Amino acid sequence: MPVSPAIDVADLHKAYTYHHKAPGLRGSLQSLFRRQTLQRQAVDGVTFAVGEGEIVGFLGPNGAGKTTTLKMLCGLLYPSAGRATVLGFTPSRREHPFLRRIALVMGQKSLLWNDLPAMEMLLVHKEMYSLADAPFRRNVAELAALLSVEHLLDVQVRKLSLGERMKMELMTALVHKPEVLFLDEPTIGLDVVSQQRVRDFLRRLNRELGTTILLTSHYMDDIQELCPRVLVIDGGRLRFDGPLGALAEQAAPDKLVRAVFSEPRAALAAVAALGDLPLRRTDDPLEVRLTVPRGRVAEVASRLLAMGHVADLGVEDVPVEEIIRAVFTRSAGAPSAQNGPSDPSDPGAGGASAHSEATALEARP
Amino acid sequence: MSPLGTLRVVARLVKMNVMLTLEYRVAFFISMVNLVLTPTIALLVWLTVSEAGVPLPYDRGQFVTYFILMGLVSMATQTWTAEYVQEDIRYGDLNKSLLRPAPNVLHYITNNVGEKVIKLGLLLPPLILLGLVFRDALQLPTAPGRWLLFGLAVVLAAALNFLLDYSIGSLAFWLQDVSGVRSLERLLYGLLAGRFVPLAFFPPELAGLLQALPFRYLLSFPLELLTADLPPSALAGGFAWQGVYLLGFLAAYRVVWRYGLRAYAASGA
Repeated sequence: MPVSPAIDVADLHKAYTYHHKAPGLRGSLQSLFRRQTLQRQAVDGVTFAVGEGEIVGFLGPNGAGKTTTLKMLCGLLYPSAGRATVLGFTPSRREHPFLRRIALVMGQKSLLWNDLPAMEMLLVHKEMYSLADAPFRRNVAELAALLSVEHLLDVQVRKLSLGERMKMELMTALVHKPEVLFLDEPTIGLDVVSQQRVRDFLRRLNRELGTTILLTSHYMDDIQELCPRVLVIDGGRLRFDGPLGALAEQAAPDKLVRAVFSEPRAALAAVAALGDLPLRRTDDPLEVRLTVPRGRVAEVASRLLAMGHVADLGVEDVPVEEIIRAVFTRSAGAPSAQNGPSDPSDPGAGGASAHSEATALEARP
Repeated sequence: MSPLGTLRVVARLVKMNVMLTLEYRVAFFISMVNLVLTPTIALLVWLTVSEAGVPLPYDRGQFVTYFILMGLVSMATQTWTAEYVQEDIRYGDLNKSLLRPAPNVLHYITNNVGEKVIKLGLLLPPLILLGLVFRDALQLPTAPGRWLLFGLAVVLAAALNFLLDYSIGSLAFWLQDVSGVRSLERLLYGLLAGRFVPLAFFPPELAGLLQALPFRYLLSFPLELLTADLPPSALAGGFAWQGVYLLGFLAAYRVVWRYGLRAYAASGA
């Protein structure tokens, strides 16, 4: 548990006001004279603390309140109610000693000037964060080597690829060695190799400099590889705070049992014999996949083996994407997805992750 | 941040903006042409009118001096910040500067200074050429004191223009589109700051009003210092008005930003 919280949030609220306009020209004309003002609770009483040196993953569907919370913690948004402190500062005051110790990187919003090379921005930061020549040069060299971008520092930002640009964003945000780093979808749009590079970089940053990191991502790999602890937010409320493994146990009390038979008849017999268990669709007639409550895994496995003709047998965790989806669906009031999780190969069902189930499973502890 | 630190940030940002200016070459040359062409056309029109025998408050020398110098003073004092500020607010790019430990306004000031450094340098050759064409009529004062006062008035006019433009752009905190406000301001500026017509051409009954409105101090006053024979009381009065408006615009800027940032941070940056 955190000893001294770097980030301390208590009962944080943020309500947005917005205007409702009826569709069409008539609605536009009406709204010219009378507009209906509505309120939306983007963050609704969130409480958590993040210790120094922790990496915490912030999970939630679109519009859950993740980015709003991050922006409040950076001082870009004022909370409607509640309290937030970061490194002992109240972010909304945006005091310079506070801004010198934090950084925000947004995957979808650049902090660089497109028409100039990143080096120019780094030099501006050198002066703004009052970095002496030697440490500045050292930091730039270190960061550039870690991200393998030494040769790109003098290239106009708009000539860089998406992945290269994100690396420059990270460099610019980190050249002053912030103690707390907020990352909003840092790997969005990057290819698998670039995603991995960014993840490796963040892990080293945390390990070597003790940087506290609060990260939002739609990519489960980001969360699985980097974040021992996750916060799940939905509808502006915190639904879960704890280790990813505990989330899996809480949200998905089932395991996946997979058996490959040497002949199709044996597979059909197995399906008939274990008909009480939810069956998962597979394209291979020799393969049977079952969702099994954790307590019955041993029994089911031995029954499958007893049937004979088993070429391969495996027990796997339910993919994290499914767990998260189950949590979100449940919190949205829909029936639990536990009893009939959808096929992970269904393109519409796998969340934002572009990666295979196997990749996700291999990375699990 | 220490004053020296701020100065270093400013120097670095100006340098960066000089480089940015050099990137946008087409926009750059169009604005230069505009700056030379508008006063030249106005000058030719007025010279034709004056040669037709219409009695006017300015003689040929004064016309020539006024409109040639206008190119220089316009360049040195005009700003184009409102549009940037508006876009930064509307598209959330303001976050860039809000996250950095330096005053937000520095970005816009240095953008202005950076562009002016380059554009003034490039504006001089065509202006000198124009001066050579009309060398028989050009009347420039020789007293260094007059030029010093002119320099001070230009700096104050630049500050006034910047603060006004910056505050108008900042209205985007509340308005979807500030270009209407900006167009109105530009129209009034064209008429009442002496861009199309020297203020001396207005009916004498309007002189009091023109003196009390801020527009004269954005362009006409520095030009009058070199072209009209202002008595010491008019000189002192002009600078006093510039000072008063500077304080007023500074106060307006502070109020707009204080409440504007609150609105920005409340509605979703």
